[in-house]
Amino acid sequence: MNRLDDDKIRLLLVDDEDGFRKIITKRLAKRGINPFQAASGEECLNILEKEPMDVVVLDVKMPGISGIDTLKVIKQEYEKIQVILLTGNVAVTDGIEGIKSGAFDYLTKPVEIDHLVNKIRQAFEIICLEEEKQKELEYRAKLEKKMIDTERLISLGTMSTGIAHEINNPLAIINESAGFMKYILSSSEMSNIPRKDALMMGIEKIEKSVKRASLITHQLLGHVKKQKSLLSNVDILSLLHETFGLMEKDIKDKQININWEIDNEKNIVWSDPYQIRQVLMNLLSNAVHALKENGSITLSTREIDDDIILEIKDNGVGIPRENLGKIFDPFFTTKSFDEGTGLGLFVVHKILSGLNGGIDVTSTVGKGSCFQIRLPKYDKSNG
Amino acid sequence: MIKIPAKVLIVDDEKDFVEMFSLRLNEQGEKVSTAHSGKDALKVLKKVAIDVVILDIRMPGMDGIDTLKQIKTLYPIVEVILLTGHGSTETAVEGMKLGAFDYLMKPADFKDIKIKIENARKRKDEQEERIRQAELRLLLRRSGDY
Repeated sequence: MNRLDDDKIRLLLVDDEDGFRKIITKRLAKRGINPFQAASGEECLNILEKEPMDVVVLDVKMPGISGIDTLKVIKQEYEKIQVILLTGNVAVTDGIEGIKSGAFDYLTKPVEIDHLVNKIRQAFEIICLEEEKQKELEYRAKLEKKMIDTERLISLGTMSTGIAHEINNPLAIINESAGFMKYILSSSEMSNIPRKDALMMGIEKIEKSVKRASLITHQLLGHVKKQKSLLSNVDILSLLHETFGLMEKDIKDKQININWEIDNEKNIVWSDPYQIRQVLMNLLSNAVHALKENGSITLSTREIDDDIILEIKDNGVGIPRENLGKIFDPFFTTKSFDEGTGLGLFVVHKILSGLNGGIDVTSTVGKGSCFQIRLPKYDKSNG
Repeated sequence: MIKIPAKVLIVDDEKDFVEMFSLRLNEQGEKVSTAHSGKDALKVLKKVAIDVVILDIRMPGMDGIDTLKQIKTLYPIVEVILLTGHGSTETAVEGMKLGAFDYLMKPADFKDIKIKIENARKRKDEQEERIRQAELRLLLRRSGDY
């Protein structure tokens, strides 16, 4: 361990002998470690309640709560803290009992200062290692969850495509039947039948609903993985300009500012321009929807390894934390049915997975959302 | 202008769809034949003169594309409009490269269907007319030889 880290060690020295404590503290300070001090087990526990500590050096023989009992409480309440026991010369059994109760190690008095410092460093090292291990575990759990999420979405995609296929056929029959009835009703022989208007209205409702249903099935089917997607060098910047062109009216109406922070060198990916355009269209129109008047959208690109990251950031209403895990699910929407099908982000996710890319999102309610699209720069399928 | 009825053949394994679709086309003055598989379609074509075939791409057995290839080999002048429940229009485009006149997505708008049938019929008529003219010229030239 690097000596420079010594001053990061938060150490508490517990001993009822004032003189001993002072000497040890002074010597430790010379070596860069500045310990807190406590004269009893009670005081030690009081300090721990207020101050986070890494290592406690604990005398076993103290009036009041004994060192061993203090140790037990520490291990129960603060599992990360490492404890080094100080025992009297003859009390080796105390040390052994201490280790059984969870102490890192024990030293017999009189203590050699370098020995103590080494033990403190070792104990701190263990803490650091464990923290790292913990971080790695968390990272791995997060990665695993993301993989599961992605897999789940992909299988949902496959299933929804299948369902959409099957639904289109009966929809076509309903559509033809309604159209046929409408045609018959409109013919001259039917011109005088009673309640014709009511029948007509019913038929029109059927036709309208067929249109709505087929909008959904077509949206789901529009991005079936193509057998031969036409891949080429795609300039994200010009696709963004094109997409904004299509949304000009909304942007003007809401007076939205667009901040371009696109690096001219970092906006070419090897991908399918039609699908990317679809992704941009969905994400940008979401951003515009999320914004109030005078809001802004910030676009930036950067490079990570062989990928280009495009960031689309808005300062709109944001997404509540409880919704963040669901926004890529099919049919999840906070809008009413005539404003959105709840398929936009699902389709975005599906397209990007199909293109060996990905998408991440961070969002704070009231502050806005940030979507990060990742796309490969080169053709990965050919190595 | 008086509408010239087109002789239409509808091919789809969805019988209810074929029935409703043909009723509607019939009402509008087209002459409709039906078939529920690619094989049936070829049988009908053998017996009945057809202008336009409306052909579902996804059928069990001989699929739409196979049927299309057969039709274009045996009756190259007959026009074919593909029907797809597929969102993926790739297959439909593939079909157009094989000689299909156009494609429609299910459920299709009836106005679109009518326009496409009409255009397909016109193209077939024009082609037939050109063939007649060419044959006529051939005949004239031959008679000129004497």
